[in-house]
Amino acid sequence: MELYLYIALFAPLVGSLYAALFGASPKSYHTGLIASGLLFTSLVSSAILLSYVMGGHTVHVELMTWMATGDLYIPFGFVVDQVSVVMMMVVTIVSTVVHVYSIGYMDHDKGFNRFFSYLSAFVFSMMVLVMSDNFAGLFIGWEGVGLCSWLLIGFWYHKESATWAANEAFIMNRIADLGMLIGIFLVYWNIGSLQYDVVFAEIHNLDQKVITWIGIFLFIGAMGKSAQFPLHPWLADAMEGPTPVSALIHAATMVTAGVYLVIRANPIYSEIPDVGYFIASLGAFVAMFAATMALVNRDMKRIIAYSTLSQLGYMFVAAGLGAYWVALFHLMAHAFFKALLFLGAGNVMHAMSDELDPVKMGGLYKVMKGTAILMILASVALAGIWPFAGFFSKDKILEVAFSSEHYILWGTLWITAGLTAFYSFRLIMLAFFGEERYKQYGFHPHEAYRFMLVVMSPLALLAVIAGWFEHDFVRLVTTLLPGFEFHTHHVELMLIGVTSLIAVGGIVTAILMYRNGPLSTKWEEHFCYKVLINQYYIPKLYNEIFTKPYGALSRFAWKEIDIRIVDATVDMIANAIYKTGENTRDIQNGNLSTMLRWMVIGLVVLLALAVAFTVGYNAIGA
Amino acid sequence: MLDHILSILIFFPALAAMLGFVVAKDSIRAYGITVAAIEFVLSLWLWYAYDPMSSGMQFMESAPLIPAFGINYLLGIDGISLFIVILSTFFTLIGIASLTETRRVKDMIITLLFLEMTMVGVFAALDAIVFYVFWELSLVPMLYIIGAWGGPLRIYASVKFFLYTFTGSLVMLVGMLFMAYFYYQATGMWSFSILEWYRLILPENFQLWLFAAFFLGFAIKVPMFPFHTWLPYAHGQAPTIGSVILAAILLKMGTYAFVRFSLPLFPDASVFFMFPIAAIAIIMIIYTAMVAYAQEDIKQVVAYSSVSHMGVIILGTFALNVEGVSGSVFLMLAHGVVSGALFLLVGVIYDRRHTKLMSEFGGLASVMPRYATIFGIMMMASVGLPLTINFVGEFLSLLGFYKQSHTYTLIAGTAIIVGAIYMLAAYKKMFFGNVTNEENKKLKDVNKTELIGLVPLVILAIWLGVYPKPVLEPINNSVESVIQLMHDKAQSSEAKARIPNLSDAGAMKLHQEAH
Repeated sequence: MELYLYIALFAPLVGSLYAALFGASPKSYHTGLIASGLLFTSLVSSAILLSYVMGGHTVHVELMTWMATGDLYIPFGFVVDQVSVVMMMVVTIVSTVVHVYSIGYMDHDKGFNRFFSYLSAFVFSMMVLVMSDNFAGLFIGWEGVGLCSWLLIGFWYHKESATWAANEAFIMNRIADLGMLIGIFLVYWNIGSLQYDVVFAEIHNLDQKVITWIGIFLFIGAMGKSAQFPLHPWLADAMEGPTPVSALIHAATMVTAGVYLVIRANPIYSEIPDVGYFIASLGAFVAMFAATMALVNRDMKRIIAYSTLSQLGYMFVAAGLGAYWVALFHLMAHAFFKALLFLGAGNVMHAMSDELDPVKMGGLYKVMKGTAILMILASVALAGIWPFAGFFSKDKILEVAFSSEHYILWGTLWITAGLTAFYSFRLIMLAFFGEERYKQYGFHPHEAYRFMLVVMSPLALLAVIAGWFEHDFVRLVTTLLPGFEFHTHHVELMLIGVTSLIAVGGIVTAILMYRNGPLSTKWEEHFCYKVLINQYYIPKLYNEIFTKPYGALSRFAWKEIDIRIVDATVDMIANAIYKTGENTRDIQNGNLSTMLRWMVIGLVVLLALAVAFTVGYNAIGA
Repeated sequence: MLDHILSILIFFPALAAMLGFVVAKDSIRAYGITVAAIEFVLSLWLWYAYDPMSSGMQFMESAPLIPAFGINYLLGIDGISLFIVILSTFFTLIGIASLTETRRVKDMIITLLFLEMTMVGVFAALDAIVFYVFWELSLVPMLYIIGAWGGPLRIYASVKFFLYTFTGSLVMLVGMLFMAYFYYQATGMWSFSILEWYRLILPENFQLWLFAAFFLGFAIKVPMFPFHTWLPYAHGQAPTIGSVILAAILLKMGTYAFVRFSLPLFPDASVFFMFPIAAIAIIMIIYTAMVAYAQEDIKQVVAYSSVSHMGVIILGTFALNVEGVSGSVFLMLAHGVVSGALFLLVGVIYDRRHTKLMSEFGGLASVMPRYATIFGIMMMASVGLPLTINFVGEFLSLLGFYKQSHTYTLIAGTAIIVGAIYMLAAYKKMFFGNVTNEENKKLKDVNKTELIGLVPLVILAIWLGVYPKPVLEPINNSVESVIQLMHDKAQSSEAKARIPNLSDAGAMKLHQEAH
């Protein structure tokens, strides 16, 4: 089984290096094909490992030593257990689809080979992240996906907005990574190891306060990658990257790394329910906060990005309340339908020559039936309608909140479920139905390549059926993760009914409101609209209170402190010495009378000193 | 030959440099490369013959110089100095091999070979006077390189560099003389041997004064805030090769000397000054990173980034535990590789455009893709991405200091944020966007000569990031003996507590295993 582990892990790396060889040469299909082929190999290996793990085994290998000094010992160790194998499946399925899709999507791009090199490198990093058997290895993957995300957001590097967004994402993630790093340090100095098995076995021996700090710092790391408030703005801006990137990195895989971390570190978080409750509350807040921003946005990809943010909030609610398997379940289901949604959006963008404003579309259903159907499927799944995947996973999260008697959280999530349904179908209605507004703007939409639709179909299938395997899933992952006891059997059906009702309500409202195209522009003058379209003015605020002052302070530090104080002092001392020499040069000018005069002065001074000292000495003596 | 390998390593380049005067101008380049290559191979042989399991000094040589004062020609290498020696020979080799300077190449190569002598000498010396002599001698070739091949302000910059560091060294020399005098008082014999000084236990107030004297010499060399202002001038005016050697090797003399002198000689003072120095290190990390962000000139960005990284090295050194000190020694090497590479890269674009202002560039990624890729890799290494060489050093340095203080480390850890800010901003200005400047449209990508220097550095940066063990293990063993020595010598209870007792830990481990 080790062999399959290594194949699953390293096949994407090989693909990436292969594509990198042709990075600067003109487009050649073989890079895309080989990278995709290798990913498929990785997928198959993961599937074999899945069946092996389902048989009750796990695989654990240690490749070699990475860092060892003092008492610190960090190997390159990898583990395939019930949690990592689920993540591996999610990552490889979505990335294989995205790879093949990208062959079509990036067809006309000059950077075709480079793109596949980055994309496969991302998958490799992600696999390292989920398969690592220690925190340091996780951090390798963690930073690796950050790097690939930077490369891919800024893929079209001639665009100012893209490179800006890339840097923003990297730096915001770095802020969170510092938290993660501190968490790792705390673990090391308190337990003496970074291996998961050792850490989780010993964690309960630590002082409650220490565990709390560990939990907090690790979660700060998670907040960056999973774009939780207040580190969220980078995710929406990251939509500057090519759409397949958004599907893979900024929807299905990388952004869920934070959730994965909390799930993986469940023995730590189980010890500190207060931190867990904070995580859940933040999650619920973000779920609603992001959903409201999605309500009014006029950028198709940003709407879906906010939706991702919102769904990540859901996952954190489950993870924070101790329902780790539920979080993982939603993570998986979400990966499928959200990636599908993004790829659909990619088709629309292609058709509309990269236009993103759904208000300028309308009636696209007639020209791109396939894409429309797939996107509707994904939206229904996202809204949580039976029997689609989102229904099973999202509903479970609401049940968790209700069962733990956190009714405010439940209420927040319940309302958000309605908002989710509404904004999803607002997008669908604006883009695919109603009047064909694109004609006014001179677009000539066309359906994407057939193979792109075909390759999306596995995701569509999974978006529909993933929820049906709930029981098998639970059986698999709860061998490793703690179970969650629901105390809601008596109201289960009612809860489902209430949730489904608001979801259907959201959909119907959206359909009715946008049946005739966009709302009147009068609404745009409204205060609420302005707050929402400006993302609660948070990016502006950050710019004013962080970015600008940092730049100003930096210039001040350089021009005023470094040059005018520190360096000027050094030069002043040097000048003082130099001037003293210059000015006292006359003493030694060789003129006998001057020198005699100086001698006399010196004599007098010395005598005076001698007298003064003698007097002083006697005074003390007496 | 192995018995005298250190002397050979020191004096072979000097002799070769003398002979270089009679070599014809046309063949000086080949001559220089050959000499540097032989020297490099010799240093690799040194590594091969070095026993990584032994933590003490190896390949020791001793010859009396002034026996009356106990001054000996004493050389030796341990895990801490071994790799810095190799780094010195390595950088001299690639520096000469990828030299693009066209003015007075012969003088340049001869100067570099002399410089190589002084660098190896500093790191191999175990006698304080010998150390001091090489330490000061190293200023001369660099003074010449900056003063003769530098930019318009070269005279000011080189004199500032020389006088500033020289002043610090003089104070250090006074400290050394006092140290020898105390040794004489304690034992009745004169000695300048560092190894013998190690055995001397000084009262804490003596330690404090001596520590301060040594500190001034080292701090200016590193350079530590607020003694760093000579560095931007030196880098700003120095030719590429000068900056490369300065950043990669010469700055390491200061940090190396902290590990070689300050820590084991003055354990109590090291603990006493731990937090003030950590505070300076934090200022270096954050403040110079901000200054780097404000720069308009790419070379100044790299120059200030050096100071910022040196802050992390200092922090790791004063963690006073194996993790931190090993990390800081490793980071010395890592920073050498990365900053050396970055200065070479800046040289590449300067040779083409004769400007270093970032506003002159933009969009270079499409004109010079290979250059952009190598720059990108080195930038990521500088930012400390895992699996690059810098990460290992930074991670261990910060991890080590975390044992001493949570808060300081949390603040110092912002290094990973502020470092990313100035580097990414600089990269964006230079490489991203559209090519707006006509002159940039026809720039040629990196050529073979430049690749000779850059490719090995890229390989090193990644190889040692993925597999640091061959280097980290010998470092670790030697650092362990330094820490143990410090613990044994420490007198104050605080110092005993702050510096871990490894023999205890070792005994405990054995104890646990027995159960």
